Amino acid sequence: MELLRALGSLVEEPSSEHRGVAGALGLPEPPSPAVHQRVVASQRWPYASVYLGQEGMMGGEARDRIAGFRRALGIERGPVRPASGVRPRPGVDPQRVRGVEGDPDRPASGVRPRLASASDAPGGSPEADHLAALLDLLAALDEWREAGGSGGRGAAARRALFSQAKATLVWEHLTPWLRPYLASFEGCGVPFYGAWTALLGRAVDAVETRLAEEGEFPDLLPAALRGVPGLPDPRRAGGDAFVTGLLAPARAGMVLVRDDLIRLAGEAGLACRAGERRYALAGLLAQAPGETLAWLARRAEEWRERLARRGPGRIAEWWSGRAGESARLLSHLAREAHP
Amino acid sequence: MSLREIEARVSAAKAEAEARGETFYPGASRVHLAAYPPKERWADWVELDSKAWPERVERRFMLVPTTCFNCESACGLLAYVDRETLEVRKFEGNPEHPGSRGRNCAKGPATVTQLVDPDRILHPLKRVGERGEGKWERVGWDEALDDIASRIRAAIDEDRREQVMYHVGRPGEDGFTERMLAAWGVDGHNSHTNICSSGARAGYHFWMGMDRPSPDHANAQVILLISSHLEAGHYFNPHAQRVMEGKANGAKLIVFDTRLSNTATHADHWLSTYPGSEAAVLLAVAAHLIRTGSYDAAFVERWWNWREYLEANHPGEPADFETFQRALVDLYEGYTFEFAAAESGVPEATVRAVAETVAQAGSRLSTHNWRSAAAGNLGGWQVARCLFLLNALAGAVAVPGGTYPNAWNKFVPRPIRMPSRHPQGWNDLTWPGDYPLSLMEMSFLLPHLTAERDGRLDVYFTRVYNPVWTNPDGFSWIEMLTDPTRIGLHVALTPTWNETAFFADYVLPMGHSAERHDLTSYEQYDGRWIGFRQPVLRTVRERLGESVADTRAANPGEVWEENEFWIELTWRIDPDGSRGLRKFFESRRQPGEKVTVDEYYGWIFENSVPGLPERAAREGVSPLEYMRRYGAFEIDRTVGPLHEAPVPEGELRDVQVDSAGRAFSREPAPPSDNVVPMPPLDGDGEGRRRVGVSVGGAVRRGFPTPSGRLEFWSPTLADWGWPEMAVPTYARSHVHPRNMDRDQMCLISTFRLPVQIHTRSANAKWLNEIAHTNPVWLHPRDAARIGVATGDLVRVETRIGRFVAKAWVTEGIHPGVAACSHHMGRWKLGDGWRADGSRRGRPATGGNDGRAAGARGGDGSSDGTSGGTPGARQAVATVELGREGDAWEMRRRNGTGPFASSDPDTARIWWADVGVHQNMTFPVQPDPVSGAHCWHQAVRIRRAAPEDRHGDIWVDTAKSRRVFREWLEMARPARDHSPDGTRRPYWLLRPVRPERAAFRLPAEDVAAGVGGKPGATGPGDGHAGAEDRDPGAEG
Repeated sequence: MELLRALGSLVEEPSSEHRGVAGALGLPEPPSPAVHQRVVASQRWPYASVYLGQEGMMGGEARDRIAGFRRALGIERGPVRPASGVRPRPGVDPQRVRGVEGDPDRPASGVRPRLASASDAPGGSPEADHLAALLDLLAALDEWREAGGSGGRGAAARRALFSQAKATLVWEHLTPWLRPYLASFEGCGVPFYGAWTALLGRAVDAVETRLAEEGEFPDLLPAALRGVPGLPDPRRAGGDAFVTGLLAPARAGMVLVRDDLIRLAGEAGLACRAGERRYALAGLLAQAPGETLAWLARRAEEWRERLARRGPGRIAEWWSGRAGESARLLSHLAREAHP
Repeated sequence: MSLREIEARVSAAKAEAEARGETFYPGASRVHLAAYPPKERWADWVELDSKAWPERVERRFMLVPTTCFNCESACGLLAYVDRETLEVRKFEGNPEHPGSRGRNCAKGPATVTQLVDPDRILHPLKRVGERGEGKWERVGWDEALDDIASRIRAAIDEDRREQVMYHVGRPGEDGFTERMLAAWGVDGHNSHTNICSSGARAGYHFWMGMDRPSPDHANAQVILLISSHLEAGHYFNPHAQRVMEGKANGAKLIVFDTRLSNTATHADHWLSTYPGSEAAVLLAVAAHLIRTGSYDAAFVERWWNWREYLEANHPGEPADFETFQRALVDLYEGYTFEFAAAESGVPEATVRAVAETVAQAGSRLSTHNWRSAAAGNLGGWQVARCLFLLNALAGAVAVPGGTYPNAWNKFVPRPIRMPSRHPQGWNDLTWPGDYPLSLMEMSFLLPHLTAERDGRLDVYFTRVYNPVWTNPDGFSWIEMLTDPTRIGLHVALTPTWNETAFFADYVLPMGHSAERHDLTSYEQYDGRWIGFRQPVLRTVRERLGESVADTRAANPGEVWEENEFWIELTWRIDPDGSRGLRKFFESRRQPGEKVTVDEYYGWIFENSVPGLPERAAREGVSPLEYMRRYGAFEIDRTVGPLHEAPVPEGELRDVQVDSAGRAFSREPAPPSDNVVPMPPLDGDGEGRRRVGVSVGGAVRRGFPTPSGRLEFWSPTLADWGWPEMAVPTYARSHVHPRNMDRDQMCLISTFRLPVQIHTRSANAKWLNEIAHTNPVWLHPRDAARIGVATGDLVRVETRIGRFVAKAWVTEGIHPGVAACSHHMGRWKLGDGWRADGSRRGRPATGGNDGRAAGARGGDGSSDGTSGGTPGARQAVATVELGREGDAWEMRRRNGTGPFASSDPDTARIWWADVGVHQNMTFPVQPDPVSGAHCWHQAVRIRRAAPEDRHGDIWVDTAKSRRVFREWLEMARPARDHSPDGTRRPYWLLRPVRPERAAFRLPAEDVAAGVGGKPGATGPGDGHAGAEDRDPGAEG
């Protein structure tokens, strides 16, 4: 599972170490920090809460849900230290939950899960839903499973617990947003991210497929997707809620980055105002609602197809369906604006 | 390529990188601000020069670790040394440091401003006028060393060793100067601790034999803090980050603080207790646990000395645990929620809610008290004792989420040479018999004891310490320091000018954290680590191939480090070795030669730090190189409950267990690499040493107390005249409303802002800009009564004088209580001053007056003496000092302001207000048991008079002496209360412990009526504890 951990590290700002990581993965050389800033840090925030929350922002219930999952695992949030990484919290009985024999405060010998980055920052939860943290945790769960379940009393039970935790992590916290997130890189114009998203998509697909074959996934959709309302109709909810919905992927079924708005403005012959996306999008809608809505409708339809291409499965279907609903509403609104 | 193949490749690449000692991933925390340069690139790290922006100018740095010196936490720093200029450009956190984990408070990075402060002292200076006159000349180190050494040599040769004293403010290396003084045979260690933490530490010491708590906040379910540990408490940064982790994990935070501190704002329960009532609230919580049975009875039965308590206090009753449990209920039944509410002003429902929260914590209750209430109140030490009672009831002692004893989470490596000798004399100026149970030296009484008991110090070192400003009753300190019959030679070892150095004979420049060596270890979680402070420019030069034999060669100016200084001084005191001092500072490699710091630390790291040589070998470096490269090493984690640890069979021979369960063995103690101070416990009188305590059918380590258990009832307190204080109890403070007049208020001064560094803030421009004044907090009700609003001047009258400050009206303070932060109100004399008071200090001429930028020359190498008057200029007021007999006044001439110097930022100083030096108006108030100064003041506050200026101070030192004598009356001296004819219980911790014979009371005191209990272990009985017979010590 080092593969997933390594892939997760590459969403962070590139440094010289990333060259080695990318090389080991057979990926092109990572881009410069400036490119990362433009493509990732300023537009494609690698946090689950951005894609699953109803406001499209970091934090909130989506992050709390992941933080709660980590707490349930008893993961210490403290040290930020290279090569030591996460330790299960001493508060949790290691024999019962962590599956590690012996010293309750040490992972089993040889196991040094890194658990990134993110999630071990002070206070823990502010970064709990970072992609690198989630992939690191996924790798760590496999390592703990192997280390803690190799023998002794209750080994089988511990293996089962870690398997269950892994399935929960994948089903509830990773795949609900990863595909649209990776899809948002299409057309970003940076070969590295094209290769990275492809490999990450493959790797996660493999994990997901195996878990699905083992019957580990529940019948219900992930909690984060259940009950998320679709794109609000501005005629009833008002313009503000409409713009908020368009920028919240879970509601719109698509990811609108700033580059999309610039492209929209260019294609529609409009001026994209300098400012954050919400301000810019509201400006475009005010300038030329018909053209803007029509462009957004086409974009939603493209996303429907894009998501449908990203594999079968209930989650992919949910996203594709959500994008389709948005496309229909936007088309209708566009027609109303330009009857 | 298949995923499996890629997986294998990346795993192999990672393993190879880590085998080379490199970091495969770019640090564990690349997200947001928690990024650190990978350690394998510390030797050559490239960053863009922020000042060159928008140009992209690369600068290359060597990152060298050191340890912060701006509080006791000893957090790790990384100095960014410009490879081109060999200048330290900035400090950031050291991610390799186990305590601070790469994080720092503002004081750490601000170290760089101390290094470049234009007013810092760069050369040795000698007084040429009268003390305090402000006239200095630059002298060479040789001259200063020879002068000082000759006086110490004479004191030793003439058997006046008690006239040599070393008075420390900010501690440096664990045990270094204690060992040095032991080698000199001088009982001359003096610390600041009795104006700081000793109250709380006494409370802990009586409970468990160790005097500091090591709370495991990160794993607690309930965190109970007495004071503001998230912002300014002890080990502030390492603990604060773990408190926040605990909160993130769901822990409840309870804060007792009269003020709405930043810590209180993070609390689930904030209790604005009336000052001094904290113990009453804690006992109400304890009573709830006892009443409801919500305590760990098995732990209490196993580890408390309840049998001793019953035997002494309930004779005739069955000595069984059920009887004790009933006694416990009876003992605390009066501490109801209602009582606690009445004493504290905290609503009864809140106290109840807190009690119920604590009850739910089980053993995951971490608690901490350092200064705060324990330092403020008469009987304040009982606050810590009552706080730890909760831990002891809950079994939250040395378990995850609980509170550990400090000594188990601390590692002091055995040094290259360990003097076995102890001073033969007893210093009555620091350990007067009036306070036999004082945890630490009665340092703040020094002016009174020298004046009233004919005391004299021939050589007095103040070392990174500023008692004139930091201690209460500063004018009495000035009287002492300017009196040549009391102070023969005063040597101030300090990096910066301060109010005490003004009155010194020598001012010798010592290095900041990046300019000195020290080895530190502090209890910050359940683990043990060492941190290495090092002169970073010396290390850089050595890495670049230079040979640096003397740290002065790498430091700015002639700034030195202390270890080399003390080694050199000792050699000059004992040049031919005939006095037996020099040998403790001789090389092992080259006998007869001076030990170097490289050999000193190299030996320690190779021989005394378990695991370090192996770790270094894995990286292909020597242990010393490893520590110079990474700055810290974690020896172990999860030390756990050592009291439960069975004593190994190898230590048990001819074991005897007495009726109290204490176990004694004839087997000598095995040598230990860890020489952390522990109480010396007496043997059995038949040649066996104390080895542990018999519990649960096995001989276990237990606690280093006389009973070997947690001493709920302290026989020491009972035997030495304080039976009513022997169990955790509540004693009404001197600022209890019953003890004050109706028009008086309590003033609390035991707090500060987190960006202040005691006496060295004035040389840290960033910190000064953030905080530079200390208004008096007043509740709106009190402000209305007094008739003042925020910004108005108020007169605060203490028992010995008054000061003038600005009011700050806030609801963040308990009504009826005022508060004023210490660490502010720095001052310097305008134009010197004469000891006879014949001339008032005049304001400095030609600048430094808060108005005229550029009026004073600032060449950046002035030792702060350019213009004739020494001192820092950034956050320091210029004052006039006047004296008529015992009446002193300090009049503020002006505050600070912009000035030209080598640092352009000093021309941008925008503030003038530097606060008020309130401590000068506080009398000494020694707690009769712990010896700690009780800081809280009963004051009257009124509107300032028209002639009052902000910062003005008046004090009558005759009144100071009267208050000193009043408080002295409360003491229970050894001559009247010693149970065995000694000056002090031998087992209590004491820096630089004298020979056992010195513990004996003088004959005249014995004749005055000391009893001596039959059967008590007397002095000089030949059964000293194991610590006195250190097998590794050199005689």
